[in-house]
Formats: sequence, structure tokens, C-alpha cells
Amino acid sequence: MKAFTTKLVDLTQKNSETIARQWAKDVKTNAKTYTYHEASEDKIILQAKDFYSNFQMMFFHESPYEQAEEIFEKYAEERYREGTPLHEALYALILMRRHMWLYAEFQAMFNAEVEHRQAVGSLSRTILMFDYIIYVVARKFWKLMKLELLAIKNTQ
Amino acid sequence: MQTYATKLIDLIESKAEGIAKQWAADVMKHDRTPSYHSLPKDMVIEQGTDFYKLFRRMSLAENSYEEAKTFSWKYAEDFYRKKIPLHEAIYALILMRRNLWLYAEFQGTFVTALEKQQAVESLNRTILMFDYVSYQVTEKYQELIIGSVERRLGAIKTLMMKGQIGGKGSTYKIGLMTIFLLVACVLTYYYHAILGTGIIFTHLFYIPIILASIWWGKKGIFAAIFLGVLILTSHALFLKALPFVDDIIRAIMFVLIGGVIGWLMEGIKKVEEMYQ
Repeated sequence: MKAFTTKLVDLTQKNSETIARQWAKDVKTNAKTYTYHEASEDKIILQAKDFYSNFQMMFFHESPYEQAEEIFEKYAEERYREGTPLHEALYALILMRRHMWLYAEFQAMFNAEVEHRQAVGSLSRTILMFDYIIYVVARKFWKLMKLELLAIKNTQ
Repeated sequence: MQTYATKLIDLIESKAEGIAKQWAADVMKHDRTPSYHSLPKDMVIEQGTDFYKLFRRMSLAENSYEEAKTFSWKYAEDFYRKKIPLHEAIYALILMRRNLWLYAEFQGTFVTALEKQQAVESLNRTILMFDYVSYQVTEKYQELIIGSVERRLGAIKTLMMKGQIGGKGSTYKIGLMTIFLLVACVLTYYYHAILGTGIIFTHLFYIPIILASIWWGKKGIFAAIFLGVLILTSHALFLKALPFVDDIIRAIMFVLIGGVIGWLMEGIKKVEEMYQ
């Protein structure tokens, strides 16, 4: 199982540029990620590449949740400062996960029967990591919104 | 594939309440969903049951994304009203999906190799459903927050004359303010020069002072300064016999009130911009 899991994340990491480009193409035309349509392609590709690199680090970390907090709070803050609405930021993350999976499928990674069996476990692990990320990003956005309101109140 | 999906859908629907109860027990003590700990258990179970029943409706619907809204919007509205933070509402959804999967595994739904193979597709289906719901819930939460802020700012926004009469609000504001200031000049001259009194007419000056601060924020203080200078100059010219103190206090109050309201309005504008 460990070997298979490694295979999926390694594949993503080795091909992060290609997956990031596919994701960027998607996010720039998807109706649910409107804010990304006007963004510079190079900038968002870099964003996705960084994400996949951080994702790998988190995936193999002993405490992935703590690692998610450390890495993805910063990610959330950057999206917040850019003015990306939370639902779009979350959907962009969902598309990142989907593109990881699509690429793996496209590469016929799950053809063998035994691999299909193991894929369930691997997919579950990937989803768990994304669950952590989504929670951390949503919580950080919520905190930033509250802080901003508090700062406004204080200036009054 | 269809057979397997139907099998899973049947399992989820027939056991919806049971899975919802497991989820409720989980969410009502989970560290990442503390706001759920004090909610009425029945209400939480009902939300869970609705979510699990949605699975079949989404599978049958022509447009599953639109079908998901029937659940998502109600879920967002209910929990927003209960003051549940968005990240907790999302994590509760994550737990819903996790409990569904755990239940299916516990029931031995994925025993054979073929079933394991099909399970990948089935897992994708539940993920897709979750993706739609979490997106819609987040979007709805934000709509509700914006709606609540707009309702609270409603009266002030009306006074701000935003987008009035074909978007020419600022022209009308300048016109109206000019009229107010001219009337103030006439009143000052009438009371000071003709009647020779500093009687309470200056209270009317707060109308342009407040409106100027609402319309132009901190810059609105210039209207207050103008009116302060006006009564002091007029007093110096026409009311030499009367003590200056009262009008000095009035002028200071004009500037103070104008300044405070302008400052508050800058804050309100920031809130408005943030939610836009």
C-alpha cells in the first residue's frame, strides 16, 4: 500500500508542471472559479506547482494535519489578500485534486486488478489530506474576515 | 457499474438515519466542530439524513449540480442562523462523507476484487457530490454574510445616495450641499445682521455637516469647517456686543461632529468594500 501511495504522489510531483498547466487551463475557464479567469497564467501555474510540492511534503509527514496548518494557512492568506472569494479558492483546490487523479488515470496507473484494489486506499489518503487543507484554508479565511472586521471596529 | 452504484445508493438510502446518527455522534464531539456540540441532536440528525437522501436524488437528477442546491442552501441557511463558523460547517460535511464511506466499508460492501475495482468509481461519485455541496454551502454562506451586512448598512446606504438617479449621485450631492450651505449663509446673515441674535438656528447646520460626512467621509469635514468659519466671521462682523464663547463652542462642535461621523463612515465604507 505504501508503495502504491508513493507512486501516485511521486507521479504528481514528477509531472507537476504538466498537471499544473492542465489545472490552470481548467481554472481559467471554469464557471466556478471566475476570479482566476483574469489571473496571469504563469502566476497560477506557479501557484499550483508550489501546491503540489507542498502537498507531497504534507502527504509523507508524520503529522499531516499540523503540516497542513503550517503550509496552507499561508496559502489561504495569499488567496485572501488577492481578493479570491473563499468558494472559488476552495473549488480551485478541488480542481487540483481532480487533476491529480485525472492525470494518474490518463497514465493508466490503475489498470492492473491489484492496483485497482489499492487505489481505494490511496484515493482515501489523498482525500483525507485535501480534507485537512480545505478545513485549514476555510478556517484561515474566516479568521482573516473576523480580524478585518475587528480592525475596522477598532479604528472607529 | 450501474448495479454497483445502485447497490450503494440503496444501502445509503435505507440506512440514511443510522448513518446520520453515527455522523451526529461524531460531529457533536469532534475537536474541529466545537459549535456543533451544543446543537439539538434531532436537528443535527435531520441534516445528516437529508444529506444521505440527496445521494439518490443527485444520481437520478438530470442536473445533479442543481439538485445539490436543494440540500446545500438549506444546510447553509440553518447553520448560518445557528452561528456555526463556515470552516466547521464544511468540516461537518467532510465527516458526513467519511461516515458514509465508513458505514459502507463496515457493511462489507467492497469485499470482492470486482467490487474493490468498482469502489474507486463509487468513491469518486461521493467525492463529486461533496465537492458540489461544499462549493454551494461556501457560496451561500458568503451570500448570507453579505446580505446581513447590507441589511445593517441599508439606512446609511440610502443616505449615501449611492447610484441615485442614473448614477449621477455625486452631482446631486454637490448640488444639494451647495444649496444647504447657501441657505446656511442666508440664515446666518438674517439672524446675525438683521435680528442681531445668535439664537439656536445653528442647530440646522448639523444637517449639511452630517450629510457631508456621510457622503464624503473624512473630506466631509470641510463643510463643518466652512460653517464654523461662517458663524465666527459673521459674529465678528455683526455681533460685536455679544460674547464670542458660544459661537466658538458651536464651531468646535461642528468640526468635532463632522470629523467623528466622517471617521465612522470611512470604517463603514471599508466593511462594504470588503464584502463586495
